[in-house]
Amino acid sequence: MAKVTIDHQTFEFEGSPMVLQFCLDNEVDVPHFCYHPAMSAPANCRQCLIEVGMPDRDRATGHAILDEDGNPVIQFMPKLMTSCTQPAADGMVIRTHRSSDIIRRAQKDNLEFLLINHPLDCPICDQAGNCPLQIQAYKFGPESSRFEFEKSHKPKQIELGPNVMLDGERCINCTRCTRFTDEISESHQLTIIERGVDNYPMTPPGVVFDEPYSMNVIDICPVGALTSRDFRFKARVWEMSSTPSITTTNAKGSNCHYWVQDNLIMKVTPRTNMFVNEYWLADEDRLDYRRFNDNRPSGPTVDGDPVTWDLAYEHARGLLAKCEGAEILFVGSSSACVEDNFLLGRMAASLGADTPVFVEHAVEGAGDNWLVTDDKTPNREGCLRLDMHPLTGESLRSRLSSGEIKVLYVLEEDLITSGLCSAEDLSGVQVIVHDNSISNQLVDLAAVTLPAAMIVETVGTYVSENGYAQKSVPAKAIRAVNRTLMMSIGKSRADMHGTPFDKWHHEENLVNCLPGWVSIPEIARALGQDLSFKGPRQIIEALADSNEAFAGLSYEGMGEIGIQLEEVAATA
Amino acid sequence: MEAKKDNSGRITDWRSYERVLLPSIKDLHRLDVYEENGGYQALRKVLVSDDWTPAKVTDEVKASGLRGRGGAGFPTGLKWSFMPPVDPEVPRFICCNGDESEPGTFKDRQLLEYNPHSLLEGILLACYAISAGTAFLYIRGEFADWITHIEVELAKLYEKGYAGKNIMGSDFSVEIVIHKGAGAYICGEESSLMNSLEGERAYPRVKPPFPAQKGVWGYPTTINNVETLAAIPTILNKGGDWFASVGAERHPGPVLYGVSGHVNRPGVYEYPTGILITDLIYKVAGGIRNGKKLKAIVPGGSSTPILRADMIEGVRMDAESLKEAGSMMGTAGMLVMDEDTDIVGFLRRITHFYHHESCGQCTPCREGTGWLEDIVSRLERGEGHYRDLDLLTDLCTQMEGRTVCALADAAAWPVRYTVERFRDEFEARCRPSLVPAGISI
Repeated sequence: MAKVTIDHQTFEFEGSPMVLQFCLDNEVDVPHFCYHPAMSAPANCRQCLIEVGMPDRDRATGHAILDEDGNPVIQFMPKLMTSCTQPAADGMVIRTHRSSDIIRRAQKDNLEFLLINHPLDCPICDQAGNCPLQIQAYKFGPESSRFEFEKSHKPKQIELGPNVMLDGERCINCTRCTRFTDEISESHQLTIIERGVDNYPMTPPGVVFDEPYSMNVIDICPVGALTSRDFRFKARVWEMSSTPSITTTNAKGSNCHYWVQDNLIMKVTPRTNMFVNEYWLADEDRLDYRRFNDNRPSGPTVDGDPVTWDLAYEHARGLLAKCEGAEILFVGSSSACVEDNFLLGRMAASLGADTPVFVEHAVEGAGDNWLVTDDKTPNREGCLRLDMHPLTGESLRSRLSSGEIKVLYVLEEDLITSGLCSAEDLSGVQVIVHDNSISNQLVDLAAVTLPAAMIVETVGTYVSENGYAQKSVPAKAIRAVNRTLMMSIGKSRADMHGTPFDKWHHEENLVNCLPGWVSIPEIARALGQDLSFKGPRQIIEALADSNEAFAGLSYEGMGEIGIQLEEVAATA
Repeated sequence: MEAKKDNSGRITDWRSYERVLLPSIKDLHRLDVYEENGGYQALRKVLVSDDWTPAKVTDEVKASGLRGRGGAGFPTGLKWSFMPPVDPEVPRFICCNGDESEPGTFKDRQLLEYNPHSLLEGILLACYAISAGTAFLYIRGEFADWITHIEVELAKLYEKGYAGKNIMGSDFSVEIVIHKGAGAYICGEESSLMNSLEGERAYPRVKPPFPAQKGVWGYPTTINNVETLAAIPTILNKGGDWFASVGAERHPGPVLYGVSGHVNRPGVYEYPTGILITDLIYKVAGGIRNGKKLKAIVPGGSSTPILRADMIEGVRMDAESLKEAGSMMGTAGMLVMDEDTDIVGFLRRITHFYHHESCGQCTPCREGTGWLEDIVSRLERGEGHYRDLDLLTDLCTQMEGRTVCALADAAAWPVRYTVERFRDEFEARCRPSLVPAGISI
């Protein structure tokens, strides 16, 4: 196999990878700004310089020339090369900053250049603390600057579009943003204008940067030139914890990080998963986080009055025990996780009721065959695989008006706002709802409400449109103490410090809710049935054993990047 | 009058040299006059005769030893031979680089004005040699008058069947497209020129791939300077051997010297390569004006290293001799400066140009060119420090060879060599040191 030597260490490789990507894949940290693995390499930042040598060959014979020790003589190229555009070749010898003073000096020189016209306003810059320029300036840059002149001035605080703000002076002209709009989203809404040191990205005249993926340029910007209009000045990066999870705005299952401060979700950023969303995240996924913070219920209620959880369970039990199984309609939810829907199905079966139904939330034509789908819920595919069927408004209303339904047991859905029925239609029915928002109109007329945890607070499995199963981990805490959640929250975040004293833990913002896999078994127990599992992990194990559509599925199998259900089924 | 030959049979005597690129013929810019004077005979010969295969034309150019006149001096025939084998499915292009904008260089303008048909014939011959079907003539927009004129002459060519489909009744067809630049020096960089032609922002491209592999719209492309292509008809008319026998052996041919600055007769002069710099200044251009003494010259456009008056004795205008003297041939546009010239002010103006023209793609050039200008401006105002001189040299090292194209080098060389060769004048402009002489610190 072809071999390349990087700083005295030999690596084997196949094909002709670019040296920079090869280094990054092999944990050799080569500083760079403009290079992004998903886009073309313009080699304009000039930071990833390396020395490149090839074995010297005898022109006549083509054999490598050896020195007296029998090692090949290496001929280094006179110029420093950019590793992002340098293909690896067999026998190539590469020196990075780890072994070459010339490279260390060149990188220091380049950072000195990058910083002379960069405003050093890190104390008020959103990017500070998570800024490639800041990090690399500390790691590889000069101690000070020799620049003694006025910095160049460019437009600041430019609203490129509804979601993105530009600070021209911070821009280092890496062109990642313009390449994103040219090569990835193909909206062509950004271009570089002006010339030389006055360059900055801008929309063409009359164009607004409003494409549905515009906020990706904020993540790929290696400085604070492009910031989120929604998030800017809200929190510093070190004041937040980030938790790897998935978004629930649509059925794509895009991977994300939830950023939490004081137990509130502050922003959502993409998490790389080459099987799902690669490096990107749609704007709708990012801006859809306020529902995790606002309008959250303050605890269980019975007939509108706050009660303890035990009283609420008892009341729900009373309502369910009074009627026949056929008189109860269980409505599951494609917004809830597989675990909750599975338990709901088990409870329905044990009461002799029909398999739960679920409500569809598709917007025709909303999908773009990329990261946005017509379906606006994260788990429709999971519901279908649990043999649940969509509920139509017509059938619901006819069953309500015929009086065959006495109790409506609803998981997270809002049947009224969804337009399936009206409040009057529900007048003769007792409603039990696991609500996650007080904007749910069922809350006002429900006999019992049992607030449900949302994806940012619970552990649960979601199956994307394509049958790709992924699990969430809690990004923020709930008021109740739950061992599974506490264990999971501690392990889920990058800083690994999940204690009640941590910065994301704020008493005021703790929501008094419970995951469905906690509250549903409590009601079942009150009804004299045993639905208790040790935790969601065991629920999935039971599901994998009992349902072929989930055969072989396990939390270990899903890990952080998820798994294709058909694939695990084939190997199970 | 027959041109005199030296002992080795080479035409090096400039006094008896007969001009071929810019002959003194009235109205040569008109098609009829050009034809009366043997114009388009080379093209006709090549198209009519079966002997003249494209490869033979390339070989003739190789034999002539013609080196590109755009500044880098790359052998033209060799460049043509880099084109991949002809594939009927794949279009091939020629770009003629008429984006002449290096300060001190104004020779292409002269050709476009006085002998545009030699360029057009050269383009057609080059297209034939590399089997290109389309030629793009990229001219800087400031040459508006000559663009208009060439458009008129090009229409005549199409009318006479010298361009377009089935040229002169043969099965050889070429479309010539004139493209106007919009006023950026960087568009004269060949890969930038291609981006500009495609309607993209004129950022130079990363090489490799080279234009012959992946050029305009990704297709094989050859890019030549105006003067280079204008020399092709002469090579085919008079033979590659004749061309190779003119001027300096390793950098042969007639060349257009653009002399500007403090001389009595500035202008464009056509002579063999290898003319003595002193001859060019004192005999051809009439010497320094007002009887002053020479201070310095820049031999080939503003980016080539400056030479002090005491460095030019016996130096000739060809690549080898100038390299030995510590400079370069460049575009042969010579700037002449007399003894009164403020060399710091001269350098300030040069740094301003490169600062203004840096496209801003690569970090060292974008940031470095402005910094150089800042420092030199401060020195010119008399507010500089001694340490600035070393800083200038340091910055040149930080810029040279570390960018996609050669603009950073072009900006750094004048600074490096002007400071090195006139350091006393720069030091005289610096603020006095606060530490008295003789005290060791």
